[in-house]
Amino acid sequence: MRILLAEDDFASRKFMDKQLSRYGECDVMVDGEEAVDAFLMALEDDEPYDLVCLDVMMPVMDGYQVLKAIRDIEAQRGIPKSKGVKVIMTTALNDERNVKMAFELGCEAYAGKPIDVEKFEKVLNKLGLI
Amino acid sequence: MAEEFNTESMLDMFLYESGQLLEKLEGIILEKQDADCFDDSDINEIFRVMHTIKGSSGVLMYENITKVTHKLEDVFYYLRESHPDDVPHMELVEKVLAVSDFVTGELDKLKNGDTPDGDEHQLVEDLDEFLGRLKGEIKKQGIQMPQANKHEEPKQFYITPVAGDDSHFYRISIHYRSDTQMSNIRAYSATYALKEVAEDLLYTPDDILSNEASGDVILAEGFHMLLQTKSSKEEVIALIDSSEAEEINFDELTKGEYGKALAEFGRESEITIDLGEEAKPEEKDAKKKEQPKPGDYVVKTKEAGKGKTLAKNQPKQQSIISVNVEKMDALMDLIGELVIAEAVVLQNPDLKVPGLELSNFQKASGQLSKITTELQEVIMSMRMMPLTNVFQKMKRIVFDVSRKLDKDIELEVIGENTEVDKNIIEHITDPLMHLVRNSVDHGIEENAEDRTTLGKPAKGKITLEAKNEGGKVYISVKDDGKGLNKEKLYQKAMEKGLIDNKLISEFTDKEIFRFITLPGFSTKEEVTEYSGRGVGMDVVVKNIQSIGGRLDIESVEFEGSEMTLIIPLTLAIINGIVVQVGKSPFVIETASIKEFVRVGEDSLIHEPSGEEYIVLRGECYPFIRLNERYDLADSISNVEEGIVVVLEHEGSQVCVLIDKLLQEQEIVVKPIPPYVKKVKGLSGCTQLGDGSIALILDIAGLLIQDGERR
Repeated sequence: MRILLAEDDFASRKFMDKQLSRYGECDVMVDGEEAVDAFLMALEDDEPYDLVCLDVMMPVMDGYQVLKAIRDIEAQRGIPKSKGVKVIMTTALNDERNVKMAFELGCEAYAGKPIDVEKFEKVLNKLGLI
Repeated sequence: MAEEFNTESMLDMFLYESGQLLEKLEGIILEKQDADCFDDSDINEIFRVMHTIKGSSGVLMYENITKVTHKLEDVFYYLRESHPDDVPHMELVEKVLAVSDFVTGELDKLKNGDTPDGDEHQLVEDLDEFLGRLKGEIKKQGIQMPQANKHEEPKQFYITPVAGDDSHFYRISIHYRSDTQMSNIRAYSATYALKEVAEDLLYTPDDILSNEASGDVILAEGFHMLLQTKSSKEEVIALIDSSEAEEINFDELTKGEYGKALAEFGRESEITIDLGEEAKPEEKDAKKKEQPKPGDYVVKTKEAGKGKTLAKNQPKQQSIISVNVEKMDALMDLIGELVIAEAVVLQNPDLKVPGLELSNFQKASGQLSKITTELQEVIMSMRMMPLTNVFQKMKRIVFDVSRKLDKDIELEVIGENTEVDKNIIEHITDPLMHLVRNSVDHGIEENAEDRTTLGKPAKGKITLEAKNEGGKVYISVKDDGKGLNKEKLYQKAMEKGLIDNKLISEFTDKEIFRFITLPGFSTKEEVTEYSGRGVGMDVVVKNIQSIGGRLDIESVEFEGSEMTLIIPLTLAIINGIVVQVGKSPFVIETASIKEFVRVGEDSLIHEPSGEEYIVLRGECYPFIRLNERYDLADSISNVEEGIVVVLEHEGSQVCVLIDKLLQEQEIVVKPIPPYVKKVKGLSGCTQLGDGSIALILDIAGLLIQDGERR
């Protein structure tokens, strides 16, 4: 499976990269805009990602903006909701409001940091990714 | 309160909501345990509770909770759809309680930071067996089987962060030997080593890599770090390179101290490493104000060696704590006592010994007075709340009522941030609601044509305005409707016998408008759902008077009316003048005193009925002798020797006779204790400097009583 990871903090990035690489090829971005670019590029090349993991606090665009952009791009290209990429937010912002907002913006899962690896895997399972 | 929970983390929210639902559930069960069966609304409610917990535990992936609640939801689904008879009620109650206990147990584990690992199999089996019997029963009774309860798997998940309550908080200060080379690099390697274990790390100076001069600062002032980590003290110490260090101070902090220390570090929105398990306090505050939205969390590109900062320039947020109102009231009381105690000291009879040298005492007492006054102001400001919520309600009312009555009305709100004492907010909500309803219902014209022919826009307009002026709050409700018709008001009042037999020209405009506040007055023939029939205005006025306020009515026919509530900023401390009648001190609120006069016996008019009036500059005022009213002995009864005080309340005046004036001071109003029979004309009491109790005159009460007597 193809995975896109956007995370600007070095320590988190290293950790997430290591975790995600177990499930597939993982492209790592350091800010929100890069993540959107990478997502678009993959669509253009017809090799779309299966999973996108987004940090929230990032330079240029934050995770919520990236999520929104991704869903907008998909809508504009007529990709049905069920075929859309699975998005998991990975962030330390665990306020209920933030989580609800992300759900409304259309993410599949919201993982609070520090990430519970076991549950993370369970979610991947439920999302049919592994 | 709801607002506060909004900022809780997802998990807290789940725990809170589920806890509430379970409490409700148990309430229902315990109430109905001896009944024969649950009624429909109970079944619905239990179904809903189970459904909600099932849904949210599904999102948070607590599978055992999901399974159990799912099963019980099924049971109640069949009960709801098929209404079978002969349900073994007691057994059902036990099942519900078993589920409730199970879920409560799991929630408790979560609260303690443990994993909810309870074994649900037995319970699910029991429920399955029960459900099987229930289905059998439904078949036997020949009721059609409902379609299987459809379950939607949650499509979105929340992965709770690894529980991390056992974080330690440290403050570490490193002082390097004064000859250390490149101390900034050493400091940086210390932070680098700590980053491995840190959940949160902040250090000062914070530009150690990019600014070489920071080395000197470190040598001079030391290098300070705040660290949040799961590692123990020993592990952390082992990580720090102590070769050149002269001294390392290591303090373990509590979470609260850590938060304070963060603030002292001048951290506004810097996050060095965001592995922390919960949002930083300042972010929480930031979000209290408004809903987060995409784009709020863009991070500025890192400056070399500095922590990252949110690009959206957040204004410095005030941190807010919520305090129990009872504690605030207690503090208020204590400050009241302090003001009294201050008066007791400053006006102590011992000081009145002639020949005392008091200049130092006077200086000190001036200082004391200043501080107590400031203290009062602070506590007052703490009790202040903006009118926003009240006004919000009014918006809703205008919306609802205008739609119901099919009137097109626009509401303009001005000054909703005006702050008033919390107690007052509670008292004005209902009256204000009434005024707004009245404006919508009676104020604005029924037909838009009536408005356009008068040259007014078809859309009615109501303006709700609040302002703060001179220790009073003015809240006005203004409409551009038909206004009040003086003739009609006068005739109505005459018909109902509410007023004295006088010509309309003998009343001032304000007096005529005030007719609408008389009990039993209404100009509207029919009763409407919203404004009733004039039983409101007198209640409005009474409510407002009970907090020392008044209602002002202005109106121009065909142009509109304006009702203004004028309310004191606070109820607890007033400015008063202490007067004496006989041996008893009384307090009169300074604002209601119009003047002090000495009059001659010849200004008095004695009515045969025993009432007295005073004529002052051609005006005639009712006259009350306080000594007679309250049976006070040894007082002056000759008008010429005493002082007459002219008091005014809502445009009516009354004169009272007192013996002498004592002083003006701030008065802490205390209610008259309940064991004293309610005395008319007195609104409260207070303690004076010499320890004696003074009664506070209630001008409105005096006027009413005076009116009744006649």
